[in-house]
Amino acid sequence: MTRAKIELGDVTPHNIKQLKKLNTVVFPVSYNDKFYKDVLEAGELAKLVYYNDIVVGAVCCRIDTSENSRRLYIMTLGCLYPYRRLGIGSLMVQHVLKHVQVNNEGAIDFYKKFGFEIVETKEHYYKRIEPADAHVLQKTIRQPQTAPLPNGTVPHAKTNGHD
Amino acid sequence: MPPNNPLPPKENALFKRILRCYEHKQYKNGLKFAKQILSNPKFAEHGETLAMKGLTLNCLGRKDEAYEYVRRGLRNDLKSPVCWHVYGLLQRSDKKYDEAIKCYRNALKWEKENIQILRDLSLLQIQMRDLEGYKDTRYQLFMLRPTQRASWIGFAMSYHLLGDYEMANSILDAFRTNQMKGPYDYEHSELLLYQNMVLAESGQFDRALSHLHKFQTQILDKLSVKETSGEYYLKLKRFKEAEAVYEDLLRRNPENVMYYQKLIEAKQLSDPDEKVAFFEVYKKEYPKAIAPRRLQLSETGAPAAFARLVDEYLRHGLHKGIPPLFVDIRSLYTDKVKAETIENLVLQYIENLSKSGTFSADPGEVKQPASALLWAYYYAAQHFDYKKDTNRALKYIDAAIEHTPTLIELFIVKGRIFKHAGDPISAYQWLEEAQAMDTADRYVNSKCARYMLRAGHVQRAEEMCAKFTREGVPATENLNEMQCMWFQTEAATAYQRAQLWGEALKKAHEVDRHFSEIMEDQFDFHSYCMRKMTLRSYVGLLRLEDVLRAHPFYFRCARAAIQVYLRLDACPLQDVPQTQEPDTDDLPTYLPLKFVILLTGRPVYEILVKVETHRERWRGSNITTGTASAPRRTTPPPASVCF
Repeated sequence: MTRAKIELGDVTPHNIKQLKKLNTVVFPVSYNDKFYKDVLEAGELAKLVYYNDIVVGAVCCRIDTSENSRRLYIMTLGCLYPYRRLGIGSLMVQHVLKHVQVNNEGAIDFYKKFGFEIVETKEHYYKRIEPADAHVLQKTIRQPQTAPLPNGTVPHAKTNGHD
Repeated sequence: MPPNNPLPPKENALFKRILRCYEHKQYKNGLKFAKQILSNPKFAEHGETLAMKGLTLNCLGRKDEAYEYVRRGLRNDLKSPVCWHVYGLLQRSDKKYDEAIKCYRNALKWEKENIQILRDLSLLQIQMRDLEGYKDTRYQLFMLRPTQRASWIGFAMSYHLLGDYEMANSILDAFRTNQMKGPYDYEHSELLLYQNMVLAESGQFDRALSHLHKFQTQILDKLSVKETSGEYYLKLKRFKEAEAVYEDLLRRNPENVMYYQKLIEAKQLSDPDEKVAFFEVYKKEYPKAIAPRRLQLSETGAPAAFARLVDEYLRHGLHKGIPPLFVDIRSLYTDKVKAETIENLVLQYIENLSKSGTFSADPGEVKQPASALLWAYYYAAQHFDYKKDTNRALKYIDAAIEHTPTLIELFIVKGRIFKHAGDPISAYQWLEEAQAMDTADRYVNSKCARYMLRAGHVQRAEEMCAKFTREGVPATENLNEMQCMWFQTEAATAYQRAQLWGEALKKAHEVDRHFSEIMEDQFDFHSYCMRKMTLRSYVGLLRLEDVLRAHPFYFRCARAAIQVYLRLDACPLQDVPQTQEPDTDDLPTYLPLKFVILLTGRPVYEILVKVETHRERWRGSNITTGTASAPRRTTPPPASVCF
């Protein structure tokens, strides 16, 4: 098989409908207008993934600042079903962290692959989804010596979606 | 210069300044000087000054006064070439070319050798295609200014256009040997190619060929040299040489379909098997080229061989994800067996791709990219839509959307399926969906607007187009300015279906005006092309303008207008308050026959027949362009002519 072309692209007001469509089929929750408004402001933290020039995945994050630390919070990270296990998630993972639902083994393994660990399970996190509990996955990233990055701790990631 | 009533030196100097002001577009100053002459009671009725004042006023947009002054000037000095020339210029600016020619002729009666007037006259003559008159004028200009390049070119061209190739060629030859010295630049090269074109049109291909060979080092357009020499070799039946030329051209561009066809001609292949073998050779020679593969499909008749080749072709297209794959091979569908072969293959792909990600169940088959199945669904949807099997078409497009809901093309095809099934409302709604997915895509935007017009939503279509038209101007105005004829034609027919006759005619007349404008625009090229020496293109332009209104855009619009006029003729509008009709005051609502005869000068039924056949031809040719195939209506077309 010749290698498929996988690239990242920006989310713009022109193509945001594609992100909405993608999220609608990938995630069981629907995001409100505020979510998409914020995504447009997110810059590099929101990306579409193109597989052979077709949008098949997207990642949306934001920076949370609290308790004197900056945290990257992955709001969504998803890929259309037929295009999974092709390295698309790995590509997105430079930005990655995200909601994962409790029973989503595949997603948890995916994050563990990158060194995330379950540090907490929040009960009844989701209102209209079964199961309603959510794991908080976390990875501590050592701060590089030359580039002072936002304080190393990262995510607070939950897999929902499905697999 | 003026024969009558000459001005004394001081006033004469002022008059010269008026002329200079006119040339430099300093109209206000020109009027000032005219006033200085005319305020002297002795010269208050001086003809040429009055005429120039009129001409200047015309440039300031004061048309009525302009005519008044120019006519008064002319009455006072009927023997003045200046007055006649000015009157001619005024008529020309009003596009009354016949009148203008008469004026110039009168002017020349009083001053035979005025270069400026002769030049202006020649421009009008070529614009009006008075080729004999043009030749005479160019001859006089040539005699008066034999050293000027334009004199020679115009003189030669006047003979060429009359079909006197021998004369045209000798003038060009004489010009080339006597006048064209210096570096062999682009203009020289174009002149040689123009001369070559004249020779070829005279039918003397051997002469044209040796001319081309003799000067090929001086011609800069190397591609033209190659292509025309190949053409000549074929015409002269020198097939071996033709073959070599086209082999060489193919090395330059192995995707040029024409080169393959010419090469087949040169090799004198007529047997289908020979042609198939021929393409096999070039497939190997240019493994990346699509053209030989595609052409081979059209030539292959044997079902088994075709199945093997089309299998290869489809796999390549689906693997790469080539969106117009269906449009590309749709013309093969005229052969029922071929269409069936393709259908079987595509269904087989879908089955295997969804099971194992491969095109077939053969062991050792390579796994395809995840998008291959999507493109196979997409192809199948278009395939069944073409076969008018709406249910299966929808089944496959829905499968595709389920598979990858982010691909815009899918929604366009879904809309098209509804359109073909006779449901313009659902059709435009799907296009709206597609459009929303990428609002920066002008193609989808235009498609969506078109579908809205088909569904009768003119207002919405305008709003849709407004996303891409100039800001601050109403969309329709900007679309008209850009000569966006597809929109205006579709709007005209949409209004026609809604029985808004006035609005329909308004749009139709806008298109008619575009065609008049294109004719008008030609005027500037008569002098420009001579100067720039782009003579081949210029002759091409003249020939295009001669048949301009045969363009499908014109016929479609004329057809709608004729239908509306005939409808109004048969059932005239009642004098009821126009509550439903929008403002149609500025339109002629009742001049059907005049309009029809204006169009082509032939009886109505003949025109309608002609319009219909053109439409059919247009539809037929459309099959390869991929816009719309013949619509399948479930309801009869509304607003047909009522007799």
